[in-house]
Formats: sequence, C-alpha cells, structure tokens
Amino acid sequence: MSQTAEHEASNETSEHVREIGHDEFDPIGTLTLIGIYFLILVFLWFFMYFVEFLGNDPTVVSGTLVFLATGARSA
Amino acid sequence: MNIHTYEKLWLVAAMVLIVGFIATITYGSVGLGITMVGDQQDTVEPTELDDERFSDPRVAQVGENEYEAYVTAQMFSFQPDPIEVPEDSEVTFYVTSRDVIHSFSLVGTNVNTMVIPGEVAEMTVEFDEPDEYGVVCNEYCGPNHHNMEGMVYVVPEDEFDLTELDAEAPGEVETGDDIDVTATVENRLLDPIETTVTLEIGNETVSEDVTIDGGETDETTFTVDSAQLGEGDHEWTVTVDDHTDSWTVTVADELEDDDADDDADEESNENTDAGDDADDGENGTEDETDTDETESDASGGDGE
Amino acid sequence: MTNTYIESFPAEAKVVRAAFYSSFLALAIGGLFGIIQTLHRTGYYRFMDSADYYTVLTAHGVLLAITFTIFFLVGVFTWATTTSLDRPVEDIRFTWAWYGLMVVGTVLTAIPIFAGFTDSEMSASVLFTFYAPLQGHPLFYFGLVLFVVGTWLAGVDWFRSWWAWKQEHPDKRIPLPTFMVLTTTLMWYIATLGVAAAILLFLLPWSLGLVESVNPLLTRTLFWFFGHPVVYFWLMPAYMMWYVMLPKISGGKLFSDPLARVVFVLFLILSVPTGIHHQYLDPGIAEGFKFIAMTNTMFLLLPSLLTAFTVVASMEHGARQRGGTGYLGWLKALPWRDPVFAGMALAGLMFAAAGFSGMINAGMNINYLVHNTFWVVGHFHLTVGTAVALTFMAVTYWFLPQVTGKALWNRSVALGQVVLWFVGMTFMSNAMHRGGLLGIPRRTAEPQYDGFEFEAAVGSVGELDAQIALGGALLTLSLVLFFANVVGTALNSRSDDLPANEYADTLSGPSDAPLVLDNLKLWTAIAIVLVIFAYSFPLLSIIERGGLFGPELTELPVHIGLGLEYLWATTISTVTTASETVVALGAEVNW
Ligand code: HEM
Ligand SMILES: [Cu+2]
Ligand SMILES: [Cu+2]
Repeated sequence: MSQTAEHEASNETSEHVREIGHDEFDPIGTLTLIGIYFLILVFLWFFMYFVEFLGNDPTVVSGTLVFLATGARSA
Repeated sequence: MNIHTYEKLWLVAAMVLIVGFIATITYGSVGLGITMVGDQQDTVEPTELDDERFSDPRVAQVGENEYEAYVTAQMFSFQPDPIEVPEDSEVTFYVTSRDVIHSFSLVGTNVNTMVIPGEVAEMTVEFDEPDEYGVVCNEYCGPNHHNMEGMVYVVPEDEFDLTELDAEAPGEVETGDDIDVTATVENRLLDPIETTVTLEIGNETVSEDVTIDGGETDETTFTVDSAQLGEGDHEWTVTVDDHTDSWTVTVADELEDDDADDDADEESNENTDAGDDADDGENGTEDETDTDETESDASGGDGE
Repeated sequence: MTNTYIESFPAEAKVVRAAFYSSFLALAIGGLFGIIQTLHRTGYYRFMDSADYYTVLTAHGVLLAITFTIFFLVGVFTWATTTSLDRPVEDIRFTWAWYGLMVVGTVLTAIPIFAGFTDSEMSASVLFTFYAPLQGHPLFYFGLVLFVVGTWLAGVDWFRSWWAWKQEHPDKRIPLPTFMVLTTTLMWYIATLGVAAAILLFLLPWSLGLVESVNPLLTRTLFWFFGHPVVYFWLMPAYMMWYVMLPKISGGKLFSDPLARVVFVLFLILSVPTGIHHQYLDPGIAEGFKFIAMTNTMFLLLPSLLTAFTVVASMEHGARQRGGTGYLGWLKALPWRDPVFAGMALAGLMFAAAGFSGMINAGMNINYLVHNTFWVVGHFHLTVGTAVALTFMAVTYWFLPQVTGKALWNRSVALGQVVLWFVGMTFMSNAMHRGGLLGIPRRTAEPQYDGFEFEAAVGSVGELDAQIALGGALLTLSLVLFFANVVGTALNSRSDDLPANEYADTLSGPSDAPLVLDNLKLWTAIAIVLVIFAYSFPLLSIIERGGLFGPELTELPVHIGLGLEYLWATTISTVTTASETVVALGAEVNW
C-alpha cells in the first residue's frame, strides 16, 4: 500500500539479480535511446518542414513580404 | 533537487528542440512571408452577404497580375465553382460562409482555411504554372458534407479572360419585322481586349470586331431581317471567345395575344426560362429537345 | 494472504470497478463504431446511408474521447488517492453520487445522439466538438454539463481525502500519486470553465430557443479553451501509470520523484493557455495570438520530453536490476511477456511517434499542410487512441484482480491483445498520416470526389485504404480479446494468490524535491494568470468583432459602457502593434 510495502519482496521483483542504488545507477541506455529519438525528431522535422510543407506549393503568403524576401519574384 | 547529468543534458537538448521549432516557424513567417489567416477582414452578416464582394461571388482583377476571388461556402457547395485564374498571378481569396462552419482547402497545397460564418478568411496565394486543384470542405457541415467540393483552374495567360456575355432578342416577331439581337459584353479585366462578337442565326453568320476597354461594357446589335429567315423557330447563338449565349426566336405571321397561353411565355427570351423549356420538353417535339441541349451547352460554356 | 485493493478498500473497490465497467461499455460501443467508420470511409463495406456516418462518428468521438477515458481515469484517480494516502474516501455516498451523476449525464447525452439513427425529431449529430451553428438537441448539452459536474465533484472527493490526510500528517510530503491527481484536477477545473461557459451561456440557451443566435467563433474558441487541456486530462492518468506502475513492473524504481512533480506542475500551468493552436486557420483571430499560443504549446513539449527520459530510465533501472547490460542490450531484460508491461511500453513507444506528429500540428504555419486532414486523425489515434487507451487496457490487467479479487482470466490472451493493438494501430495510423499529407480530409463519409483525385507520390490511395481497413480490423479483434478477458475475469472465482496493491518506490525520493513544488495554491495562481494572459485579449477581440451573441444581433445585450469599450479597443490595438513590432524586429534580425 505504502511505498515501503514494496520492500517486503513481492513475487514480481524476485527476478532481481542485483540491487542498484541511486548513486550507482547510470542511465546510459536511456541516454542512448533518447539520443536516437532526438536525431529522428530533428531529421523528421526538417524533412516535414522543408520538403513536405514547403514543397506543397502554393502556400499562403502576403505579397509584399515575399517580394522583400526573394527580390522581385512576383513582378 | 538533484538531477542526473544525463537528464540535464536531455533538458538542454529538449530546449534546443523547442527553440529550434519556434525558430523554424518564425523563419517561415518572416523569411518566407508565410502568413496566417488572421483578423484582417471585418465581420459580415452571414445571412445577407449583401456587400459588393459576396453578393456576386467571382474573380476580379485588381492589379496587373493581381486578382481577388470572392468565395462563399454554403451547404454543400462553393461559389463560384469552378474558380478560374490565370497563371503567374497573385490571387487573394476572401472566403466566408452563409450558414455553418466549413473549410476551403485546395487539395495538394497549403491553401487551407476554416470558413466561419460572420468572419472572412483572407489568403493571398501565388499561382505560377497552369494547373488544376480540387477544393474540399474538410470541416463537417451537415449530412452531405462529403459531397461538398469544387475546382480551381489555373489557366494559361492567353486563355484567361473575365468576359461576361449576355445576349438578348425578342422571342417572337412578325414576319417582315427586323430582329435586333443585342450582345452585351463586359470586359472585367483591367486591360482592353480585342475580340469578335459573332451571331449565328438560321444559316447566316455575322460578326463584328470590338475593342473593349478594361472595366467597360460594349453593346453590339445585329439586325436580321425576319422575312429572310422565314416563318418558324430559329435558333440563334452569340459567341465571344469561348462564351456563348443562345436562344430561339419565332417568326410568325401574326403575333398572338400576350395573355394567350403557354406559348406566350416564350416571348420572354431571358435565359431564366428554364421552367418554360421544361414544359415544352414534356410536349416532346424533337425541335424543342434540341433547343434544350443547346441551351445547357451554352450555359456550360458561360460558366467556364 | 494477499493484500489487494479490494481487501483494503472494499467499498472503494466497488466504485472503481463500476467506473471501469462503465468505461469498458463505452469502449465496446465506440470501438464497434470505429470499425464501421473505417470500412465506410474506405469504401470496403457500406451498409448505411452516408448521412448516418456522422451520427456514428459523433457517438465514436463522444463515447471514446469523453466517456471511455474519463470513466476510467476517475477510477484510477480514486484508486490513487486512497492507496497513496492509505485512507478510505471521506464519504462513500458522496463518491457514489458523483459516479451516478456522470452516468446520468452520459445517458442523457447518448439519447439524442442515438436518436439520430431513428426518424425522430431528436438528434445531435454535431460531432464531439459541437461547433455552432450546428445545433444539437438541448439534452445533448445538458447531459454533457451533468457529466462534467460529476467530474468536478469527483475532484472535490479527492481533495477532501487529501485535506483530511493533511490534518493528520501536517509535515509529510504529498504522496506522488495524490500529487498527480490533485494537479490534474486543478488543471481540469480551469479547463472546464471554457466548455461550461460555452454550453451554459450560449449553446444550451440557444438550443432551447432562449437566445436567437450565437457567435460561432466565440463558442468555438471556448470549446478549444477546454479542448486542448482535455487531452492532458486523458494523458495524465496514463503518465501516472508510467511513473508509478511501469518502473515497478519493470523490476526497478522511479528514477526521480522530484522531476515527476515538476512535470505535473508544468502541465498544470501550461495546458490551458494553448488551445488556440487548434485555431491556427481560423479567420477572426490575429496572427499574434496564434503565435503566442504556439510558443506556449512548444514549451508544453518539455514536460512530455522529460517524462520520456524519466520513464525510460526507470525501466532501464529495472532491466539492469534484472541483469540487463549494454547500451541497448538491457531492453531484452525487460519483462516483455507481462501484458501489463508490454502494453504500457508499446503505448509509450507509440506516444513517441505521436510526439512527432504533434510537433508538426503545433507548428503555426506548417499547420496549413495538415489541418483537418486525415493526418490529425492518425495523430490522435496514437495519443488518446493508443498512448492512453492501450495504457488503460494494459493496466486493466493489473487493476482487474485488484478491484475484483479474482485472477486475470488469461495472460497470454492479454499479451496477444496488447500486441495486436500495437500492430493494428501501426497500420491504421501510419496510413492516416500519409493520407492526410495527400489532402484527404477527416470527418468525411466518402472522401472520394467527382472532380479530382488524391495523388500519391508513393503508393496509392487504394493501398492506404487497405492498410486502414486492415489496421481497423486488427484493432477490433484486439478489442474482442480485451473484453473476453474482462468478462472471463469477472466470471472467475475469488483468488487468494494475487499481487499486492503497491506502486513503485523511488530512486530519488520526495525529500529531494523542493517544498515549493507542493505549493498547489502558487501553481494554480500562476496557471490562472497565464490563462488570463493568453485568452483575455483573443476573447475580447472576438466579442468585439462578432458580438457576444453573433454577428446577426450586433446591438443585442451586453453593454459594458463606452469607457470600458474604449479601453478594450486601445489595449487590443496596443497588443497588436506590439506583436507586429516584435515580428518586424524579428524580420530585421533575420536579414
Ligand atoms: C477499433 C478501434 C478504432 C477504430 C477502427 C477507429 C477508427 C476511427 C476512424 C476511421 C476515425 C475517423 C473518422 C473520420 O474522420 O471520418 C476515427 C475518429 C476518431 N476516433 Fe477512432 N478508432 C478506434 C479507436 C479509437 C479510440 C480507442 C479512441 C479514443 C480513446 C478513438 C477516438 C477517436 C476520435 C476522438 C475521433 C474523432 C472524431 C471526430 O472527428 O469527431 N478512436 N476513429
Ligand atoms: Cu463540409
Ligand atoms: Cu491541442
């Protein structure tokens, strides 16, 4: 019931082969996984924005700003 | 509070992501000029829509390559449909609803807006190449929502005009009288156009070259001698570029009384006579059926 | 001798069980409608008129997104407060009362929805967003109100437990599960003010004919004031399960209690001032307001990204204690054969994918690409339809024995069920996302048009439809297995050999968390201030533009006096100018 109850070894934790305390635990596996996730996110973001979105012309623009940004595109 | 070094690292990475996302979007807005549908337009009365734009949904030219499209969405259609604009143009759509919430979304593009009654969505779009786009309503608007669709055609420069043609002639004349066919041609472009107004009647074809200034309306009247046509029904068609208007004139020995019967209605020769036409269709004469077809052809042509 | 929930709290276990069963009933009916929609849209099997599709869709949305999720989570929250405070509810009759109110509300809402299938005058095929001027039968709105009031009272119940507990333990930290319940409830109170205002001030009187019209943009904005945070109302209980159950089931401990608290505090303060991100493409709302909503939304990613780390690290802790090694090899040491673990872990994995499509949705201008397309449907079947629903189903396999005192009917079937859901959803939601990029609209009975076709650069619409139908079929099969287990368990006899009612211990415990984190008043105040910042100007401007009761009735009620109106006008224009200046400045920086 309370958190301490857990120490009275329930059958689910019996598969423990070792006890790892707070200071010994180094979540390097998590860092690896989440690093991969980060890279996927960055890649997909750029892909979605610059390929899928900007490639999906035409897009809603305000004429003057585009004019400023791209020189004389909409002459 | 102690946070593990790796988690601190991840915290930083997460912030980089977040700031990076915001930066990309800002670049899109500021650098590329991508503009959100906003509150630029004043509100309107959805049930009336009697302002100059939405009382007559259409495409209008406002600058050399600049057009405005006034579009209304209503259960379960868009007006005008199709919408036709030229290539290499900058088109500003003004879209509003007459009833519930719809959307106006050009399939396969980033042109997409909610259409909310009372509000006017403004979107400026550049069309470079000739193309055609389907339009869907992607907001549920009632039991036939899935049938709500339209088209946008981006046509080559030389195929594009904003010409309005309306031709009139009496429905019935007495043999020997002149038939005046008047073609009213409005050029809604800013630049003048040179074109030819052609009338086909019986097996006669007459035409006249006209130059119409931007925003001007030209009236051309062709006078035909009814005696030459002879007694009976004669179909006539006025053509300007790919716009046509067509009707039938009856040449009779003696004009019947106005209040006589069904036939009398035919005197009115406005294209709004669809009802009369249908009546005649029921009578089932070959001739009339032909007329029907021609008329629907003509109105199809008008639309495009 | 076991120590299950039902033994410790027999009276509460009954309510929790009732809440779960109500939620499963909604899941069963809603799921049935899900497969009907799938087959109808894709054209594989159409047995009803397309007009009825929208009645089905209304029922699917309401039953799954509102009824299924919320009934389940009130059960979980009641379990969480009683278990972590180790005390029964203050008054079980009160608990039954709010449960009863929620049931009555659901039934009243369902009546007009289902009447839509008959020839009767009554109907409410307005979808679960009920955007005016589409109008449902008054009973629909009334039922929703009762349901929400029921959840408010449930919140009162949880707070009462905490207050009583605090009297007896003045110096103790709020136990983590209770902390999560309380922050989520506070967020819910703020969020539901929007929908309550929309319904009570406008939609209900309007459907009763008391007022002639409404301002569609206003009621829509009030809906989304509620509509975004409601997704966190669904998600928070799932997060809670990931924080307090998953580490334990993995054989480890929660990596960080303090960070878990930080995450829930962030959700409390950031969930509500973001709703306008559903309205990026709405005319009548200035771009500046949309930008502010986007910034808030993007920062709202932070607690979810933190959760990803903390939860995975907790799992890793378990895996390493179970003997796992290596950079990724530890993943093999996780208890994948345990349906409770497998279901939650797969749900979490799908949520990672959902996070990605959510980031796209959140991007203000890229929203043009995906808004109201099938992409969005793909997105939220990953979030609420999997991260939440699959977590709930998986954790049901742990909860059922706790609240019935009976052993789970069949663990292998349970494992098959969660895997099947994962596979089915992979097919369905992936194809929905791709379909959305082609411009296929959502909420459409027959997305096949006369004038044009959707063009796929890779694959074809036919292939996408096939995947959606296949995915839908697998999901339906998964649901059948789920209900087999629920019913099978209910029919089992009582067992003495059940796991105890426990949740995860922590590696870094509450004592590491700054005390201020438990200061709920402070966080609530900040949340309210942020909401006022984010919403008052947009709301005032919408009212100023379209009137409180819609554009047709401009000179109707509400006179606030000229002075005040002038004040509004100037503040609004000041804000607009300010945001324009910011944009302009940004522009210069960018050159
Ligand atoms: C058997 C499993 C399911 C199937 C086959 C399924 C299928 C679908 C389909 C095809 C749609 C899109 C309809 C359209 O936009 O035209 C839809 C919408 C939706 N689904 Fe599901 N779904 C399932 C489970 C779920 C679950 C578990 C949830 C939430 C817990 C959920 C929540 C929703 C919501 C909120 C909508 C949007 C309703 C609207 O647009 O008004 N679905 N579903
Ligand atoms: Cu629609
Ligand atoms: Cu949202």
